[in-house]
Order: sequence, then structure tokens, then C-alpha cells
Amino acid sequence: MRTRRSPKQNHLLAALPAAELLRLSPHLERVPLPLGAVIYESGGEQDYVYFPASGIVSLLYVMNDGASAEIAVVGSEGMVGIALFMGGETTPSRAVVQSAGSAYRLEATVIKAEFARGEALQRLLLRYTQSLITQMTQTAVCNRHHVLEQQLCRWLLLSLDRLPSNQLVMTQQLIANMLGVRREGVTEAAGRLQADGLINYRRGRINVLDRAKLEERVCECYAVVRRESDRLMVPETALAA
Amino acid sequence: MDAILNSLLAALPRRSYLRLLPGLTPVELVFGEVLYESGQVIRDVYFPTQSLVSLLTLVEGHLALEVGLVGREGMVGIPLALGIDVSPVRALVQGAGPALKMSAARFRTELRRSPPLQRELDRYIHAMMAQISQTAACNRFHVVEARLARWLLMTRDRVRSGEFRMTHEFLSHMLGVRRVGVTEAASALQRQKLIEYSRGNIRILDDRGLEAACCSCYGIVKDMHDAAPLPSLGAFAQRAAWAANTSATQAVRRLA
Repeated sequence: MRTRRSPKQNHLLAALPAAELLRLSPHLERVPLPLGAVIYESGGEQDYVYFPASGIVSLLYVMNDGASAEIAVVGSEGMVGIALFMGGETTPSRAVVQSAGSAYRLEATVIKAEFARGEALQRLLLRYTQSLITQMTQTAVCNRHHVLEQQLCRWLLLSLDRLPSNQLVMTQQLIANMLGVRREGVTEAAGRLQADGLINYRRGRINVLDRAKLEERVCECYAVVRRESDRLMVPETALAA
Repeated sequence: MDAILNSLLAALPRRSYLRLLPGLTPVELVFGEVLYESGQVIRDVYFPTQSLVSLLTLVEGHLALEVGLVGREGMVGIPLALGIDVSPVRALVQGAGPALKMSAARFRTELRRSPPLQRELDRYIHAMMAQISQTAACNRFHVVEARLARWLLMTRDRVRSGEFRMTHEFLSHMLGVRRVGVTEAASALQRQKLIEYSRGNIRILDDRGLEAACCSCYGIVKDMHDAAPLPSLGAFAQRAAWAANTSATQAVRRLA
């Protein structure tokens, strides 16, 4: 069933029992996520948390010298701003919109109060935190052990899982920033994937032509993250049973 | 009453701590012991008091990289605090010594009835996530020498001693590099008279110098953890347990 323009487009909100979602509804504000928008700055205060309905938000770790690397991506399966309810107040990473979409946002005071009630939302968000930890862990490992081409495959697949089509709007420079590598490296790796017929890359648009082959080429990191996220994101109603 | 050696427990209001106490059993963690295997159900949580536990990820079944280091500032078993009963990583005792253990069932009960415990754990988990994301970025940008320096300082902070046993092979798993890479980096630090490294024994000679040699990642994560107060410690029995460790290499081989 397709849900149009509803908080239920976000899987976390959709997994809430009806009564809890109803209680939150008056506070949920739908906002656009324009490409490139910075939702949080590293070290900055957070006034809202965001539940994406569509699009992708990239969490980037920013070094002192300004270099950055992506540590996780968040789409409609998740939420941006967990530092708020984890008591961190400020976030150690920068959150940037990597693929345009929209989100439902909640004010800091509302999410904190709701989290403190210790009901379904708290359980869901804590489980989501674990899947985010797995994603970060796997990124750390992948950066250390796998070649750029595998990392690019992982990145493409994680993005595709969060998008409605097989197309990504993305420049090579942006991918390089996400992966924390030089643009030439991305060009080379993307060129090989294109030559082998896995993707088609033109004017800042990537079309994935053969997803199955991409999954063959990717390192195990993608499957680990995917499995963990599928396992943890069981609807609240199923857990209560 | 004795000082509370684990700072997560020490940060709890007295009443919450006293209620936890009957459920905490003192244990001696043995070097090389696997507390959890990746993918296994977590049976107990551990609050290290004078021990050190590495959280390691595996790639294709082999030890690949340390993604977290837990000492007196934390708890081993955070998935349980997040409502998950399976550990995604291997938890390996890297510094032998005492810890307080609590069964998973008891821990879940305590967590439900103690909001202060949940709050402290959330804060700790947040700091832990900073440690993991910084590890990811550090692996991308920083050279082995800086990462080794950071790792030595993190270990020092958690065991409160500048001397510990550590083989090249063990370090290579921690840092996710080949042994020769560790050898080169350790020699470089030794040439600069920052450390002394012989027969698997590492001694930090110059704390300031080592801090200058490591990447910015160390300071960032330390600040996050320091947000929680650490109990002050007297002169603890210097590393008797550490010196008695079996060979790290053997342990890793056995476990890998």
C-alpha cells in the first residue's frame, strides 16, 4: 500500500502504535529537505529531530582540517538527531542532505518528553541507535579493509535502498567527499562499473542498470548493515505480541 | 565504603547505585577471554573497574579492526541497553583485571526501574558512537603512526598506567594494518623517544610528546568521555595483572 504525504512514510513513525502517533501528530511538521542543506553542524546545538519521509541525509564526520567522511546514511528507515535524546546535546557529526526529499520534524522538547515516557518510541529509537552503531562500525572497517570500488558499490546500494528509483543525482566530487577520497579515485572506480555495464553515469546522474551485479561486487559490509537494520526494525506491534 | 571504581556506576545517584549493588558480582577478567562472540546472545554485562575490553569487528570471519575500547569509564554490553540481546561485535579482554558483572535478565529489570541508569548509559552510548565514528574517519585519513599513538593513549587512559604488554600482532588487529606497518610505526615513536618497546612490553616515556604525535581524533573522543566525571584513583597496584598476561599473540591466534 502506498502512503502519500503522511508521517507513516517514515518507517519509525509508521511502526508506532496508533495512539502514540496520534499524540505526536500535532507536533510533526513536514519540511522540505533540499539537496545540500546542512541540517546540523558538527558541534552545533540541535533544535529539532528529523524523520525523513523521502530523500537521504548523510552523517559526516568532520576533521579539524575540514576534511570529511561519511559515517552513516539515514533515509525513511531512520531518524536524524539521536544525540538529542541520548543526552549528548550537541552532535559530533555534520548532517547534510545528500538526496532531496522531505521530512517530519519534531521540536527538541517534544521528542525529549516523549522519549522520557519510556513507551514504544523510546524502544524504537534505541533499537534504531543500535542499527546506526552497526552502520558506523562497518564504515570504519570498510575504510580500512576494502578497496574504493567496493566502497563505492556499498555506497550506491545503501543509497538505492533509500530511494524510490534506480537513479541518483550526484556529482563525482560529492561522492568523493562522502567517501573521503580524491575525485580521481571515484572517477576511476565509477568508470570500471560503467564499462562493466553495472551503472550508467552521465551529467551528475547515476543510473543503476544491474543491481544484482552490484551486490556481487560489493564487500560484505553492505549485507551486514542491511541484515542488522532489517533485524532490528521490527514493528512495535510485533514486539509487544 | 570503597570508592566506586567504574565511573558509569559512580555517576549514578547513591540510591540507584545501592539498588544495583546486590546484582553486581565481582569477577576477574582473564586476558584473551572472549566475553561475547559476534552474533551471540549477551548473557551478562560487565562494568570494568581495572580491566580493559576491546570491541572488535570481523571481516570474513577474521579479526579486522578494533572499533571500541571499554575500560572503567564504561560498560560492555551496550546493545542490551538499547533493547537488543545479540552482540554485533566480539568483546575481547585485552587488559586482565577486575570487573563487576550483572546478568542480562537482572540488567534489563534494573534498567526498567532506574531512569538514572538509562540516562547515564545513553550518555555513554553517545560518547561511544563518537568513538566509533571517529575511528571510521581516522582510518580514512590518518597514518598508522598517529593512529598507534592515539591507541596507546586511549589504553593508558583506561588502565591508568603508561606501561602495558602488547605484541605487534595484537596491535595489527587493533589497528587493522599489517604487522610490518605496526613495526615501522612503533620504531618511529621509539626513535622520537616517546615510547620504549621491547619484548612485547610498551612503556610510554613522554606523554606530552605522544599526545602531539597522535591525530586530533584522540582529543575529540577524550573530551566526550570526560564530560562524565571520573573517580579519582590512588596509586593502584601497578600492572601486576598486566605483567602476568599470557602472550597476546597466542591469545589472538587462539581466538581468530
